[in-house]
Amino acid sequence: MEHVWQGILRLFRGLASFSAKAVKSLFELNFCVLLEQMISYYSYVHHDSDKVQMLLELIYQLMPPLETSGQHLKLVTAKKKIIMRQRRYMTQLASIFALLVQVAKSAALSSICYSCVVVIGSFVKLCTPNLLVELQKTVNLSSLFNCLLAQKNQHVLFETLKISRILAKKDQHFFLESFTKEGVKHAIEYIVSQSKNNSHQNMKEYCLCFYMETSSTVEACSIANNSVTELAKEIKKNFLSVKGSNKSPNRFGFTLKSVRDFFARLNLYSSTHLAENPDSCKQLSDLSRRLLSDELPVTSNFEFVQSGSIKCLSVYLSNGAYCNADLNDGPVLEQLSVVHSRLHKFANLALTPFNESSANPLGILVEKLLDTLHMCYGSFPVLLSYEQMSREDMTMIPLRYPEAKKPTSLLLKFHRSQKERELYNYNGVLIVDLFSTPDSTEPILFPEVFRRTDQEPASENSNQDKNDDDGNKSSRLEFFYNGVTLQPSVTFFESILHLMYKGQSDLWIDPSFWVQEHSITYRKRIKSNKEISSQSSYYTRLSYVHEILQRAWLKDPFFTAILNGKLPGNLDVSDLSYNLLFMLKVLEGVNRFSYQLLMDEQINKFAEGIQEDINDIEVAICPVPRHQFLSSLLINKLEVQMQDVLFDDGLIPSWCVYLVENCPFLLSLDTRWKYFCLTVHRSFFPDQINRYYPQTKKYRVARSAIIEGAVSVMTNHGPSNRIIEVEFEGEIGTGRGPTFEFYSTVSHELQRAGLGMWRGDSGEHGFVHAPFGLFPKPWPPSSQGIDFTNMLQKFKLLGNLVVRAVLDGRILDIPLSKAFYKIMLEQELDMYDILSFDPELGRTVIEFQALVSRKNFLETSSEESNPTADLSYKNVKLEDLCLDFTLPGNPEYELVPGGSEKMVTLDSLDQYVSLVVYATLKSGIAKQIEAFKSGINEVFDLKALKMFTEEEMERILCGEQGAWDLKNLEDHIVFEHGYDMSSQPVIIFLEILREFGREEQRAFTQFSTGAPHLPLGGLASLDPKLTVVRKQCDGNVDDELPSVTTCRHFIKLPPYSSKEIMRKKLKYAITEGLGPFHLS
Amino acid sequence: MSSSSSFPNSRFPFAAGAGASGGSGSSVRPWGSSGGTSVSSSGKRIQKELLDLNASDCSAGPKGDNLYHWLSTIIGPQGSPYEGGIFFLDIVFPPDYPFKPPMVTFKTRIYHCNIDSTGKVHLDILKDGWSPAFTISKVLLAIKDIISNPDPYSPLMMSISRQYLTDRAKHDEIAAEWTMRFAR
Repeated sequence: MEHVWQGILRLFRGLASFSAKAVKSLFELNFCVLLEQMISYYSYVHHDSDKVQMLLELIYQLMPPLETSGQHLKLVTAKKKIIMRQRRYMTQLASIFALLVQVAKSAALSSICYSCVVVIGSFVKLCTPNLLVELQKTVNLSSLFNCLLAQKNQHVLFETLKISRILAKKDQHFFLESFTKEGVKHAIEYIVSQSKNNSHQNMKEYCLCFYMETSSTVEACSIANNSVTELAKEIKKNFLSVKGSNKSPNRFGFTLKSVRDFFARLNLYSSTHLAENPDSCKQLSDLSRRLLSDELPVTSNFEFVQSGSIKCLSVYLSNGAYCNADLNDGPVLEQLSVVHSRLHKFANLALTPFNESSANPLGILVEKLLDTLHMCYGSFPVLLSYEQMSREDMTMIPLRYPEAKKPTSLLLKFHRSQKERELYNYNGVLIVDLFSTPDSTEPILFPEVFRRTDQEPASENSNQDKNDDDGNKSSRLEFFYNGVTLQPSVTFFESILHLMYKGQSDLWIDPSFWVQEHSITYRKRIKSNKEISSQSSYYTRLSYVHEILQRAWLKDPFFTAILNGKLPGNLDVSDLSYNLLFMLKVLEGVNRFSYQLLMDEQINKFAEGIQEDINDIEVAICPVPRHQFLSSLLINKLEVQMQDVLFDDGLIPSWCVYLVENCPFLLSLDTRWKYFCLTVHRSFFPDQINRYYPQTKKYRVARSAIIEGAVSVMTNHGPSNRIIEVEFEGEIGTGRGPTFEFYSTVSHELQRAGLGMWRGDSGEHGFVHAPFGLFPKPWPPSSQGIDFTNMLQKFKLLGNLVVRAVLDGRILDIPLSKAFYKIMLEQELDMYDILSFDPELGRTVIEFQALVSRKNFLETSSEESNPTADLSYKNVKLEDLCLDFTLPGNPEYELVPGGSEKMVTLDSLDQYVSLVVYATLKSGIAKQIEAFKSGINEVFDLKALKMFTEEEMERILCGEQGAWDLKNLEDHIVFEHGYDMSSQPVIIFLEILREFGREEQRAFTQFSTGAPHLPLGGLASLDPKLTVVRKQCDGNVDDELPSVTTCRHFIKLPPYSSKEIMRKKLKYAITEGLGPFHLS
Repeated sequence: MSSSSSFPNSRFPFAAGAGASGGSGSSVRPWGSSGGTSVSSSGKRIQKELLDLNASDCSAGPKGDNLYHWLSTIIGPQGSPYEGGIFFLDIVFPPDYPFKPPMVTFKTRIYHCNIDSTGKVHLDILKDGWSPAFTISKVLLAIKDIISNPDPYSPLMMSISRQYLTDRAKHDEIAAEWTMRFAR
């Protein structure tokens, strides 16, 4: 398939390059629609940069530039005539245009970016000025240029400047304005100013010219050393220096100034007052309205960045802690309360749309930040080994890296720093493997260079080491490459590459890199003990404060980040991407906890008496959908990085790890799942040479004692890295089918009533019915006995099942609640989470909490003699509710000693609420959770799952749920052996499948694959593919039943005479065929 | 409390079925069975409600010695087609009462668009609208209210609600006839 596809495209490309007629017929066939689909598929779904490249080359051939050499001139003008004459051909091309701009913006590789720019350039040349002005309204070209000009790649820069020049020529007035607004002007001026200090002279870069030229005429790179700056100077001189007499530049400057002024005033205000005055709040809302409105004219990304509003907002929200190391000494609690209240105000503002029709301000802000992130190409460099370059269809490219054995080590030459006097000069070459970091090299190097002096006896030295170990892992040496400090935990390999090719979006590792000696200088680290101690004491105080916090969001990493004013880890604070990542992290947190934040606010309003009716404590939230946080650039980059051999070998650039651990929300689930498979999975199955035939271990289980069987399978298997395969005693089925059934049957058994595992377990026959998902039932902390230990053992089994399901790709059929998934992912729970599994109790707890806040407010603020007089719960005196200090629905669980005799009163309501919440979410289920987690940790570290959200975890464990559409079915079901897509039985079969409801879908999936849910990715990721074949029938066809081979996903379908009969037979088979396993 | 024993057995149209269907009341705790030492939180609450129950024309009380399983009678409201009828209701309290609503079912058949043929009642306060501040007497009042004022816009019985809206006279006629047949 692949080869045919490539062959056809290559054929088209060849035809288009030699014949104007071919170009014409391609346009006649409306080829652009197909091209558009293919490009978006290969750049966003499949992430195959080679295919995108080839498609771009094809488009390029449709409209080559005019200035190509003489012999082609005739052909080129002929093509041009064809396109120019037909208006609809132009429209066709214009329809791909928007997509190309997107692809260029989010391309991970400079080569793709370059090709896009070249194609965009040829199109722009064909356009009339009017069309261009029209296009600029829908596709923001200037904004793209601003992103591209932030790149360091000379080829991309050159081409971008060329297009800018064309645009400026075509309509100088219009584009000058738009260039100014979007920052293109600024960027060009910057390039000109940079030319003076010639800083990028020693930059390494590979020629990209050959990508677009199929003819062999291009021998040398067309871009001379300083042609970029020359071109920039020319544009500046001819077009940009014209001062527009109209008022638009003033307006632009005005926006910038007002934003800056505002934030300056805000921060000044907040340092004296607590920014509580409504005046500044109103200003904030007015400004954000202007800045973030989605009405025209929108604020451009350039204005957004240049105004410094991101930084100002960070400083404001973090109460000045942002990028401020000194603040760590301040009182933690005060900082906490200020940040807390500011975040509340911000959330309120950001989550409420200005009017009915406008979008969520938070969403607009996120979109802007992500768009600006496109300018940070260089912050996330993709490392590429040369083996990727062996593209089969690019034979005219000299193979720069001949076949050689994979390099595994680096040559590092260590010098003493010039200022260093204390240490010896090593001045030798060390051969280190690619995984060495400054931290790991230091123990080898340090004894070699350490000069023992009399003033510093050995004993004292070792003592000091100990201190260091306790503290912040500080090392004794500092390493430098070209004068830049190396991060202690990043590999030499990555740091050196990063610095060698500074600013490039992707780096091809030159073969000389491996043989070259890289000189590293070192010096003794100058320790500032005071700094370390003050910081660590700050963290102790912070962790102490954590203990007493009630709300989950206050313990979330996002809040810790804003409280400290810094992202975790050692990132380069001066990088533009740092600002963006920080803000995105905060916004994602605000968005995730939007319900909690707004509910807090509502409770406060009720407490202060602004809100009268307790029934009105309710928020209608419209959080930003998660997919709006995805960064196409970062997804592309990580995808390309994961395709490289280096990644396979375990050389993962530190930014990948950082993003996955700290900002997983920027990456799509598919990408993270791939990352998970390549890292955790890979390290778990190290000895599996062939991934397609993994080693398995077989177990035999009796259906009658399946739980006991499952426990013994899991105990015997332990942390083994083989895949578990199960067969049932007395049945002949073997392989995937029975194994899948084993997992789903065991997960069913764990839902039996009477086990005492889940809330809502009434102890009767059948299964626990939990419409909102299963959550562990609290047991009194003093519980003992056989029932209790049995129950704990089942939780451990569940943990085992979960981990095996993730590793072996099995599906569990167990509806766990969101809150339980949160526990699995080690997130904190608070009272709002009770709503997700027990809405009635959750609602009441929140209302009680509101009542408590009201009472506290009245007691502290009013001087009246009896402030609690009007405090009743929905006009009922609290005492009349007759609540005692036991857990609701669990009278044996006393919340305090003797709790069943102690009644809840208004004064003890506070205590009651926190005890109920604590018992429900913490103390009552602690042992169960511990058992569950031990079941997981037995096999791998639970932390590895943290990159997923609770919804994603559910998808991974329980498979896909959703309606089947025809395209999905057609694409992912194979019809063979007597059937094809056009067979009548197949057509009606697909019709029936589409008409299936969810229950029938589940039954059908169970029937054909052995598990009720499809794996992650749905039918598409079913392996082997679901295959339908014609069943050979001797007698009357309509008497036959469909049969199935579950482990092969084979359905044998008789060619029934009518749809009604097929539906009847199919339904019979899927509902009756469940249960014991027998092959047919 | 004496009202509980005064239910004439012959008045139970579904006497045989009532005991069996009561099984759905989960983990029912016989009152006073825990050795008389202490009654659970929900038990205390139900006892209190039993004492406070003084609604004029509806009576309710435990069926037998199970505090969590009550029976109640509602007299058809005057001026409604249900006038003159006596309707029996089955009330089951969940173990986490009052955090969860009681389950109320009609044991006497009634022609009403918010009450289906199995006796299920569509009432907001018995579902999402429940709050521990409600008591069983408030629930019974709400049920009486919905008997006299049906809510045809959120019906359980589509055909009855349609008839209620289009042919009110016919609706009332059938309702009265059913009352005569089943509730007397």
